Order: sequence, then C-alpha cells, then structure tokens
Amino acid sequence: MKLGRYQIKLEKKSGFTGWQAAVISIVAILFALFLVGFIFLQAGVDPALGYQEIFSYAFLNPFGLPLTLNRAVFLLFCSFAFIVPIRAGLWNIGMAGQAYAGALGAFAVALALGAKGSQTPSLPGGALVGLMILGAMLGGMAVGAIPGILKGKFNTNEIVTTMMINFIMFWLVAYMIKEGGPFMGSGGEGEGFKLTESVRPPLFKDTPFTLWVSLALAALLYILFARTKIGYQIRAFGSSPAAARYAGISPVKISLLVFVAGGLLAGLAGYHYFAAVPGLYKIPKNYGDFGDLAFYGIICGLISQGNPLASIPLALLFGGLTNGGRFVQGKLQLGFGIDYALLGVVMIILVAFQFFFRYRIILKKAEKEN
Amino acid sequence: MTDIKHGDIVLAAKGITKRYPGLVANDRIDFEIKAGEIHAILGENGAGKTTLMSILFGLVQPDEGEIYAFGKKVHFRSPLDAIDLGVGMVHQTRKLIPAHTVLENILLGHPKAGTILDMKRAGEEVAQLCKHYNYPLDLNAKVWHLAEGEKQMVEIFKALYRGAKVLIMDEPTSALAPPETEKLLESIQVMTRDELAIVPFITHKLPIVLAVSHRVTILRRGQVVARLDTKQSTEQSLAREMVGRDVIFRLERGKAARGRSILRVENLSAFDDKGAQALTDVSFDVHEGEIFGIAGVSGNGQQALAEVLAGLRKAKSGRVLFDDAEISHLTSLQRWQKGIGYIPAEQRTVGSIGNFSLVENMLMNYHFDDAFSKWGFLNEKKARQLTEALIAEYGVATPSPDVKARGLSGGNLQKLILARVFSRKPRLIIVNLPTQGLDVGATEFVQNKLLEARKSGAGILLISEDLDEILALSDRIAPIYEGKFMDVIPAESAVRETIGALMAGLEKKAAA
Ligand SMILES: Nc1ncnc2c1ncn2[C@@H]1O[C@H](COP(=O)(O)OP(=O)(O)OP(=O)(O)O)[C@@H](O)[C@H]1O
Ligand SMILES: [Mg+2]
Repeated sequence: MKLGRYQIKLEKKSGFTGWQAAVISIVAILFALFLVGFIFLQAGVDPALGYQEIFSYAFLNPFGLPLTLNRAVFLLFCSFAFIVPIRAGLWNIGMAGQAYAGALGAFAVALALGAKGSQTPSLPGGALVGLMILGAMLGGMAVGAIPGILKGKFNTNEIVTTMMINFIMFWLVAYMIKEGGPFMGSGGEGEGFKLTESVRPPLFKDTPFTLWVSLALAALLYILFARTKIGYQIRAFGSSPAAARYAGISPVKISLLVFVAGGLLAGLAGYHYFAAVPGLYKIPKNYGDFGDLAFYGIICGLISQGNPLASIPLALLFGGLTNGGRFVQGKLQLGFGIDYALLGVVMIILVAFQFFFRYRIILKKAEKEN
Repeated sequence: MTDIKHGDIVLAAKGITKRYPGLVANDRIDFEIKAGEIHAILGENGAGKTTLMSILFGLVQPDEGEIYAFGKKVHFRSPLDAIDLGVGMVHQTRKLIPAHTVLENILLGHPKAGTILDMKRAGEEVAQLCKHYNYPLDLNAKVWHLAEGEKQMVEIFKALYRGAKVLIMDEPTSALAPPETEKLLESIQVMTRDELAIVPFITHKLPIVLAVSHRVTILRRGQVVARLDTKQSTEQSLAREMVGRDVIFRLERGKAARGRSILRVENLSAFDDKGAQALTDVSFDVHEGEIFGIAGVSGNGQQALAEVLAGLRKAKSGRVLFDDAEISHLTSLQRWQKGIGYIPAEQRTVGSIGNFSLVENMLMNYHFDDAFSKWGFLNEKKARQLTEALIAEYGVATPSPDVKARGLSGGNLQKLILARVFSRKPRLIIVNLPTQGLDVGATEFVQNKLLEARKSGAGILLISEDLDEILALSDRIAPIYEGKFMDVIPAESAVRETIGALMAGLEKKAAA
C-alpha cells in the first residue's frame, strides 16, 4: 500500500508465547478503557469517576458482585462451548441457541415432573435437580449435534448452520414462554413458569453451585487437551484435517464430538442462568439479552487462544464490565448503553492489538520511479 | 543495471551465521554467485542449504553477516526488498493459485499490477519471454490444468517478469518427472547462456549437478566445506565431500523368501479429486517378502491407488483383499490396526503436522495404540522415549524431540515419517516416493530399510518415479500409464529402456 511518499508493508511475525499474548491482552484492555474514557467525557462525566463506579459496583459491591459472578459463569460456559470446537478448527457461534436449548431441556424436565409454581413434585428435590441438569445437557447436545453431523457428513459450513439454529431457538423459546407454548407462566406477563422451591439448587458460599462446576470444567478441559487421547485427536484435526485423516482420525467423529460437547457446555450455561441463579428460576422475558451475552463467549475463547484456564479472568472481566456498565448507566443518567459500548470497544481494540503484534508494519520511503 | 558482464559477482554473502535454538544452521558462510553461471548447492539433509537461500532472498534474517547485491551492501528486510533488487526465488512448494490463469498468476503481486493493469500488453510481454526461452506456455490456461513441470516454469517466468537477475531454486526437480526435468534444465541453461540470469539451485541428484552446473558449493553442518568446479568433480568426489566419507552407490538386494500373497487388488478403479478417472481396472497382488514396484511419472493414478489402499479414498469399483479378507470397506484406522502402513508423498500436508512437536507427530501413528494410552490418557513418556530412540536410529538432525515439525529440513522430516511408520512393523507397507528430498546417504539408508522390511517378511508396494530406485529394489515391476498397468515384469527380465518406454505410454502391453 502506498501512502504519500511512504510505502507500507505488512509482515507476519512468527508466533509468540502464551505470556506475551497475556501481556498484549492486558495492555489492549487498558487502552480500550482509556478510549472509552472519551465517551464518558462526551457525556459530561469524569472518566475516573465512571470507572470507579463501574468497577466498585462490579467487583466490590455486595449486590453487584454476585451479579458479576453469575454473568461470568454464563460467559465461561459459553466460551468453553466455543473453545472445544475451535480446537478442532471448527467455529461454533451457536452458543445462544444451544444455551436456549439447555434451558428448555431443563424446564421441560421440571414441567414433566411437576416442579412448576407451587406444585409439589413427585420426586425429591435433589433427584429433580440432577434430572434437570441432564435435561439441559441433552437439550444442548441435541442442538449441537445438528451442525456436527452436517459438517462431518456433508461438509456444510458450520458457521451458517449454528447461526441459523440460533434464530430458530430464539423463536422456539418465544413460543414456549409467551406465544401459547406449555412453558408459559401463570401471570400472562410473557415469562416462563417459575420453578418450585424444592428444585432451586442450594448455594455454596453464597454463589450458585454452577460457579464451582464451571471452574472445575476449566481445569478438566485443560487436561483434556493437554493429556488425553481424544484431546490429541481434536488438536490434530484442528491443525491439519488431511494429516489427521491420514492418522486414522475420523472427521465425522471429531466434528460430531466437538459440536455435541460444545452444545452440552452451552446447555449448562442456559441451566445456570435460568435455573440456578438466585432470584430468577425461570426463563425471563428478556432472555434475548443472554443470547447477546453468549456471543461474548466467542471473544473470550478467541482472546484466550483456546485455553480454558485463560478464559476465566476474561469471563470475569467481561461479566463485570457489562454488569457495572449497566449500573452506571442508570446511576449517572447516561443516555446510552455503556455496557455494550464498553464491550464493543474492548473487543475491537483487542482484535486490533492481536493483529499489530502478529504483523510488523514496515514504513519505508517509496523509491523514486525512474 | 545493464552493465553486468558475464562473470561479475552479482550476489555475495559474507560471514553469514544463523542460529536456531540448539543448533547453528549457517556458520560463518561465505558465498558468491557470478553472472551467467549455474551454481549448485550440495549438502546433506539439514546442512543449511534452504536456510542460506532463504537468507539471500530475505525470507530469513541472519544473526550475523552481510549481503552484497551487484557490488552494493544490502539489507533485505523481506523478500520484497530482494525482489526489488532483482533476486527471485522458486520454492519447492508452489505458491500459485490453481483456479487462476497462468497470466494472472504471473501478474499477481507484481509491483506494477496495482497501477497499470494493462493485461494485453503484459500478456504480450510474458509471451515474448516464453518465446525467448523457447518454452511455450498457454497463458490463458487455468493453472490446475498444468503438469508439475509447467507450474514450475510459471513460477520461473513470474520471477523473470518481475525483473529477476538472480534466480534461486530449492530442489526444482524433486517433484518433476524425468522428461519434465530435462525440459526444465534446458530452459535454465538457455537462461544463463545468453542472459544474465543466474541460478544457484539446490538438489540432491548428483547426475543433474554434474550435467548442468558450472560450480558447486558444498555445505556440511552449516559450514562451507568445499567450493569446486563441476568439471573437476565426479559423483564419488561430490558425495565424499558432502558426507565426509565414501558412499557406496550399491545396494545388496539379496534374496528374500517370497511368501504367500498378502495384498490382492481386483479390478480397481477410482476417481481423482477433480472427479476424473484416475485408475482403471487395475489388478495385482503383493506377496510377503516382496517389493512390488510401480514405476510411473507422477499423475498417472499412483496417488489414487495409494489412497484407496490406505483407506483415504473411495474406490469406484473393484475389491481389495488383505490376508485373503476383503478390506474395501475398512476405515484408515482399521487398516493401521491390521498392520497396513502408508507413507504418503505429501510429507508436509499429510504425513506430518507442522505445529506439532516431533513427539506429537510420532503419536500420529500411535495414538490409537493401546500400549500408548491408558484410561484415555496418552502415555507421553513412552512416546518421548520412542521418538528419541527413532531420532537416534534414523539420524534425524534436530536439537530436541520438542521442536515443531515445521522446523525440520525436508529430508529430516522424511526420515521422521519413515521411522514412524517402519517402527510399527507393518505387514504391508505402501510407500509413495520414499526418497524424495533425501540426500545420497539418507537415500541409501532408507532403501536399505525397505530391503530389511522385505527380508523380515513384509510386503511392500513401492511407488516411485525414479527408475534407478525401482530397478534396484523391486522384485516385480509394473509400469503405470494413465491409470493402467502397462505390464508386470519380473526383476530378472526387466530392461531399463523397455520400462522407460512403457512408463511414457509408448508401447502397448505385449501379452494380455
Ligand atoms: N524455522 C526453524 N526453526 C528451527 N530450526 C530450523 C528452522 N529452519 C531450519 N531449521 C534447522 O536448521 C537446519 C538447517 O535446515 P535447512 O532447511 O537449511 O536444511 P537443508 O540443507 O535445506 O536440508 P534438506 O536437504 O533436508 O532440505 C536443520 O537442522 C533444521 O532443523
Ligand atoms: Mg532444504
């Protein structure tokens, strides 16, 4: 590319280590926060004050912190759902639909076994909770299997199929909870029914047990990729499908496996937010917001370079930013959605930083034409 | 730059050193190329030839040393700088876009392409160039229609059209059939004779070096050990300088007990990737303790045959039997487990995974082996031990088994793949171009390994374009042409010229 008297060239640099990547990410995040400071200024708010409000609400406030954690756990499950397929070189952007499917699966179990509203279910609470989790996993897996089979058998583009399933699932949830489907709540407010007391899972240290499940899963997935046979096969397929096939690894099996696993993990995200977070215990009217949040699982997964442990702090940060952002919007009377503005800028800057660190820009004086 | 005379030094390197973790790939190398000469670089696998050429082309930055182009000190930050100064490179792995035409490929990335896209004029200029070098090319043909040799020439014309005065070629003939090789070498000679294109080229084929080059530089372990005039060299002397000892160019085929039939192929037909018929009604069998050689120029159906047998391609019709049991429907995994080993010709894209370590690459043929995993966990220690042992046995030049396969030189990667498959002790080995890219010492080593496997009772299906290799190793020889066997000839009655003619499709099968 020519720019005046200068010529700009891009050159790809060789790979960098995990630590370098972490440093790049941190610097990028700080830079993004700096940029968003101008948005605050524009709105007549001192950026320092704005950030102080966001962070103290998100991470220190006794009301804010649990909200942050709940969002972070949801995000974490979604980033796992992205990471497992991406290690096989496949793009799952259907976390939203799979999370909805998980929620529907869990609530279908609850409905079938009489755990609705003020009814008394026929089974003890613990067993029901277990079955609901199973239902959530099965729901996510079923929806994940579709792009998996289509990819493995017919090489259909997985981005397109997962995206389409997101839309379908969105409308399916709408039907189930407000357009006459069996999950409608009693109040007629366009929400799903509420779970009975006995199937609301107990809290551990004041947090939903799913938080601990998600942390354990991060460690398990890490070990899966680093040490196990199946992890090796997934990575081999992700690095070179032709070489993997030569090595006896079946493309159909891997495609199906990673998407079913991805669906399962996203299904748990749906279970977590709608059935395990205190004060909710239903599929709410604004369930679409969680579909939007699910997309940030892609960002977490990409920035963490497919490392499930590295996505923990990222999920926490993004969970906190959306939560705190929403809070200051109300408190400081900002006229715009600062939460998504923040996430959007962080995302763009992160991607840009990754790009600039991967490529070296060469600026040289263009030679005179003879 | 028009005042270059024959014999002027056009490109020189002084004291070039390049270190990689754990090894010195280039160690204080001095090197120069003169206008109008063909300069061959020789050296064992991993000696540092590709590294040196990549430095001269700006692909790799040296740690120390200076480069002079046309008498001026230069600093190549990237290949673009090198191209600006008239240095071009033709890589072994081609970088053309198959769906585009020849002309489009030649113009692609040309510095002028953005500003003046006068296709007609450019086309005429390129056509002029082709005519000048007496190599007719259909500029409007799509690249995927071309033969390997023609693609190679497209790469060369691409570099020449950009004004290359120095042309670097890394193993230009290793993917070419013998007649294509000859044509290519003729063109190269024309280039140096009347123009000032200079071609330092790298190859392991000593007869080629002797036939076309003027001077030879020999590298050993990153250092220059000899600079010779080709006229005063022989195959023996070149090999001695390269390896540091005398190399015997003779194989002891010996006798091996021919056992029962282990592979039986009946009326096999298959398509290639483009959906064209690649293999037509081929039938043969391979016995235990036998090397069955398929001699042919690449692109005559060998690839499809090997892939069908390895379970990587569906046959159109016909049957395959292993050990008297039909295996046509088995997956590639099941075939590995039954004791069928496949060594593919595409070492970088199929035979190995570039961003995996050598240990992980070893696991490509062992991840499914119960001895290497327990409760779903891979036994890394065992895989590492095996890798280390094989690296030692096969003399793979690498600082550690933890380096990525991408960092291995071509020949060393080939050794690693061979070691991996042989170590499984397969009962049937399907091997496609086993010695491509190997130096003379390693070629000898690998051929002996094949003979060893034969002696221990394995059946071997050897696919090669190298007639000498086929004749030296095979018990029976099947020349293949356009997807059909022209004949099946026992080694005792094989005549070189006949087989050569059959490979070229010149004679019809004598008896049915
Ligand atoms: N990117 C890299 N990272 C690490 N080591 C490298 C890299 N590139 C080359 N090497 C090492 O440098 C040495 C020289 O490699 P080079 O490719 O120059 O050899 P070569 O002479 O071309 O061999 P061959 O005949 O096998 O192609 C080898 O030992 C190789 O493993
Ligand atoms: Mg090389």
